[in-house]
Amino acid sequence: MKRSVSCIVALAILLCLPGCGMTPNEYALELGKPPENAVKLRAVQTRRYDTVDETLLLISATQIMQDLGFTISESNGQLGIIGGSKQRDAEEAGQVAGSVALSVALALLGAYVAPTWDKEQTIRATVVLTPLENSSQTDVRIFFDRLLTNNHGDLWRSEIILEPEIYQEFFAKFSEAVFLEGNEI
Amino acid sequence: MIKARFPVLFFLGFLVLFSGGCQTTKQPDLIVSEKGAVELRAIQSRIFETNDEIRTLRTVIATLQDLGYTVEEVEPAAGTVSAVKLIHLKITVTAYPRGDSHMVVRANAIINVAFGRGRQRTQVDSPEFYQQLFFEPFAKAMFLTALEVDDPAAPALPDLPPETEDEQADLRLDPMQTRPELIANKGTIP
Repeated sequence: MKRSVSCIVALAILLCLPGCGMTPNEYALELGKPPENAVKLRAVQTRRYDTVDETLLLISATQIMQDLGFTISESNGQLGIIGGSKQRDAEEAGQVAGSVALSVALALLGAYVAPTWDKEQTIRATVVLTPLENSSQTDVRIFFDRLLTNNHGDLWRSEIILEPEIYQEFFAKFSEAVFLEGNEI
Repeated sequence: MIKARFPVLFFLGFLVLFSGGCQTTKQPDLIVSEKGAVELRAIQSRIFETNDEIRTLRTVIATLQDLGYTVEEVEPAAGTVSAVKLIHLKITVTAYPRGDSHMVVRANAIINVAFGRGRQRTQVDSPEFYQQLFFEPFAKAMFLTALEVDDPAAPALPDLPPETEDEQADLRLDPMQTRPELIANKGTIP
């Protein structure tokens, strides 16, 4: 019992820790650091195509995003970029149960913390084209991330989607649409 | 007598409590940097030896993606790119030409930090943030790109003196122009 109480207290401290005692500049320096796996992530998110037809690539990317249920919110042909988003349910029984259990445990210790869990997610996708200089190839990079809204209606978390399968699925569809094979970089 | 005063005291007590509550919840929307405009501009800006605005903006987008930002808005006519990282860090980068052969790139970041029970947006004015977490990777990307090009490298000279009075006034405000060594260093501020 004693052990579980200390675990709960330690967890509560850990939850409060990020941002505590940091100046805005220190927080920005922490948050602004590149992802640890930036090089690997770029490789997962990028394919190289033997074409310089950016219009074809942009139209194909738009169509695939629409097929996947995204609403296009930003597009610019001059800079070779398209962005879009879609909403999905994010509620998971395990997370809800865990959060309620933690709140009950903290209430027993005399602290009231409202149980909080992921309720909805906004998945965002951004496609960026980079033509290679002195070459007939173009790099296509897609970046998926998601914003999570909790059960109180607050936007409280955001994360980059790392699962390679999601990127592979996108590029498989994309390669079919442009009739070209995308090479890994 | 005591009975008659009781509602008045109660009302006054209520007012005191209410006004106290109002004061503590008042927060400014955004805390801007206390650094002077010239100093802030020097922290947030660099000059690059290129006149290709579109390539500069594309490199800005690629750099922000590498750093884990999601690009939210682009406007090539105004030379701006806005992006956000993990909800709380927003950055807007602008690129505009300076003379015939240089581009000025300026980044401005806003961080959303915990403040009491809510959050407070604050302008980031740390020189390290802009140098290490934007301009270093950006300059590297620009340099790599430049190597790939059949380089029309313009000489690293300051721009011609301005002709009009307005341009001269603008020049006096810009620390980059009054310090030609910054241009010679290809975008790095010592």
